[in-house]
Amino acid sequence: MRFGNTAIGAVTAVALCTGAWLLTSGRDTDPPPQPSAAEARPDPAVERAAARALPPSPPDRIRIPSIHVDAPLMGLKLTGNGSLDVPPAAKKNLAGWYESGTTPGETGTAIVAGHVDNADGPAVFYDLGALKKGNTIELDRLDGTVALFTVDAVEVYQASRFPDQKVYGAAGRPELRVITCGGGYSRSTGYQGNVVVFAHLTGSH
Amino acid sequence: MRRTARLLTGTALAVAAAGLATAPAYGGETGSLEVFPSSAVPGGDVTVNTAACGDGGTAAGDASAVGAGTFTLAPSTHEGDAIGQFKVPPSAQPGTYEIVAKCTDGKEVSGDLMVTLASMRQQVQPRGSVKTGVGGALGPDPVQTAAGVAALAVAAAGGTWLLHRRARGDGI
Repeated sequence: MRFGNTAIGAVTAVALCTGAWLLTSGRDTDPPPQPSAAEARPDPAVERAAARALPPSPPDRIRIPSIHVDAPLMGLKLTGNGSLDVPPAAKKNLAGWYESGTTPGETGTAIVAGHVDNADGPAVFYDLGALKKGNTIELDRLDGTVALFTVDAVEVYQASRFPDQKVYGAAGRPELRVITCGGGYSRSTGYQGNVVVFAHLTGSH
Repeated sequence: MRRTARLLTGTALAVAAAGLATAPAYGGETGSLEVFPSSAVPGGDVTVNTAACGDGGTAAGDASAVGAGTFTLAPSTHEGDAIGQFKVPPSAQPGTYEIVAKCTDGKEVSGDLMVTLASMRQQVQPRGSVKTGVGGALGPDPVQTAAGVAALAVAAAGGTWLLHRRARGDGI
């Protein structure tokens, strides 16, 4: 009889610990930060002057010191339906750039995209929505120069009303867009839209 | 030898360029000369890089096919690639030109540069939103939650059983 009670006691204790662990473990339960309305509109009056455009050169790394991003970049193409492809989700510290478009630093709109999370938790651009106007984004380029961009605005767009021209359209000065998932989230359809960071070139070294 | 411009010229070339502009040479495999942008306008800057010369290797570049003469590829910090740059002469005619680089060890690699009169690269813009998240940062997985609840149910049953015995005086 005593043996049976000991066994039941042990099973009870193990089940209690396992259950508690399963319910509390692993996941970061905070949703990724989203930009406030104050970050949404560029304010030309306080923007830093644009730097002269650089010659074209592919980038190979992005750094955003204010949110501790330091990640390699891969080239991205378009998917069959014309949307921008994304890096493999399994590599959580990898971002990509649209290699058929403008290179970061030359005149036009360069585009960088990365995951906010993957099945295991937060990924490279988890904190992108926490960027503020005036923050710096650095892109290392293959020719050895580093293009420095200053954030003009951080916006959230619903996928159903995505402003293609505003995000991807040509620009008369060197500009950068950094894109990740954002907006609301639903289990059936995933993230409802994208966080888009607008920045322009303000220097290089 | 494809040193000289291929026969494609004029309008026919511009049409071909529009189709090919979406597939730049950058990102190619080891052993070739990557040309970026693969399609440039007269007067434009071009960057070439190759991993063929090994770590710290240098190479002599030859862009004389397009009229840009010779240039040097120097070692870079990027994955051991040797990198060089040249400018397409403003007088360059539309066409496809072979750019050659010869490593100091004698190995030769080449890549194609297409010269077009109007930049084609900005014409294909992405459309729509980007799929960059699956919700993995947002709270626990439902399967894991269910397993946790089931384990706690077992613990509750076990606890109840033991308390019940104790109440009956069976002793623990």
